[in-house]
Amino acid sequence: MKWFRQWAQKSPWILHYNAGSCNGCDIEILAALGPDYDLERFGVLNRGNPKQSDIFLVTGPVTYRSRERLVELYTQIPEPKVVVAMGACTATGGVFRGMYNVEDGIDTYIPVDVYIPGCAPSPQLLIDGMAKALEIWVQKSRDIEKPHRLFGGIRKTLHYLDRRTMAQTLAQSKEKEPQ
Amino acid sequence: MMVWIVLLAPLWGGFILGAERKIRAHMQHRMGPPLLQPFYDMAKLMQKRTTIIHSGHALLALGYFVTLWIAVGVVLLDGNVLWAIFIHLLASVLLVTAGFSVPSIFSHVGANRELLAIVSYEPILLLLGVAWYVSSGSWESGAIALGGTYWTSMPLLGVALLMVVLLKTGKSPFDMAHAHQEIVGGVEVEYSGIFYEVLYMARFLEYIFIYAFVFLWGGVVAVALFFVLANLIDNATARLTPAQTVRWFYALGLPLALLNLLGLVA
Ligand code: SF4
Repeated sequence: MKWFRQWAQKSPWILHYNAGSCNGCDIEILAALGPDYDLERFGVLNRGNPKQSDIFLVTGPVTYRSRERLVELYTQIPEPKVVVAMGACTATGGVFRGMYNVEDGIDTYIPVDVYIPGCAPSPQLLIDGMAKALEIWVQKSRDIEKPHRLFGGIRKTLHYLDRRTMAQTLAQSKEKEPQ
Repeated sequence: MMVWIVLLAPLWGGFILGAERKIRAHMQHRMGPPLLQPFYDMAKLMQKRTTIIHSGHALLALGYFVTLWIAVGVVLLDGNVLWAIFIHLLASVLLVTAGFSVPSIFSHVGANRELLAIVSYEPILLLLGVAWYVSSGSWESGAIALGGTYWTSMPLLGVALLMVVLLKTGKSPFDMAHAHQEIVGGVEVEYSGIFYEVLYMARFLEYIFIYAFVFLWGGVVAVALFFVLANLIDNATARLTPAQTVRWFYALGLPLALLNLLGLVA
């Protein structure tokens, strides 16, 4: 089966999901698929269908609205699958970190295999990340992988505190307003 | 020799598809995937976990594949052209049934468009069969092939056949049935793993089937010419809507085919 696996490695199909990114990263992905960098020479196809994809390529910091869809898409991809977080915001929240509608990175919801740094990452970095993702992908089996919540309790508390501070600030500023 | 072509039809189809992806990439100044890419894809799809909606849905894909294979066999092994066309129609109907059997919007839209595609190309294929009968006196594909090529006697039908080739192989002006970024592949949308692979191989068979017709019409030269032309047109045009596609076929393709047939009879 080993030689067979090597064949399989040559055909990664990606599902690209924009979880609230500024579109910088998405444009870099399109650039990488275009004639200059030509990701398709490695067999990469942008499928747009979770059921037929292998690599989940996410951009954006996960907005409050997009988090359910993110998990849904992740669970619909059949194993073996690899998650690639593209860009600084997808890893940590980046420039959007700490905003009220942002969940600070996708690893709070789904397990990430490869982080591609940069804001936005260059197409060369994306290709490097893909190569790394393929390395990991060959190691994986058909076992079911589940989405998770990282540091659930701590995050919940912090989130609660954040919201409370915000509410207080809002109340104070309301008081200061001339009636 | 023909028996081998039929028995290994998905293999040859895979090579054709690989070559096509390479050619298209070069037309766009890209390197493109390796020639064996369709086989790599198949190896990959075999290792994925398979999820199915319900067994009927999966079975219909298998039925589509097998029926299509039989249609290819009929046309290549000296069978009746009309049979080949109608067995192929049966295969398409199985696919449409599969599309309607799941509660998925994209699948339904895809199945609808598949039906519209059938409505568009089927009359032209039938008229082509009739024209062959008129000029060679036989429905058998062997006799039709022995009757020489039909460049001079059926030029208009050749143009109509080019349109059918574009539609059947999912090429750009007429690729509404499988529009990938628009309806996510249409009927294919709910398939995964090994059953998607079946559909993927069925695509190879579609290539063989329609290019067998091109071969009967104009020999190897026509196959090569149509192959290059189809890719050129695919790269140079944008997708038409389903209504526009049907209009093109009924306003241009069908009249051309009818005119040609009238010319042959008169
Ligand atoms: S990492 Fe930078 S370029 Fe990419 S989505 Fe975030 S803000 Fe935009």
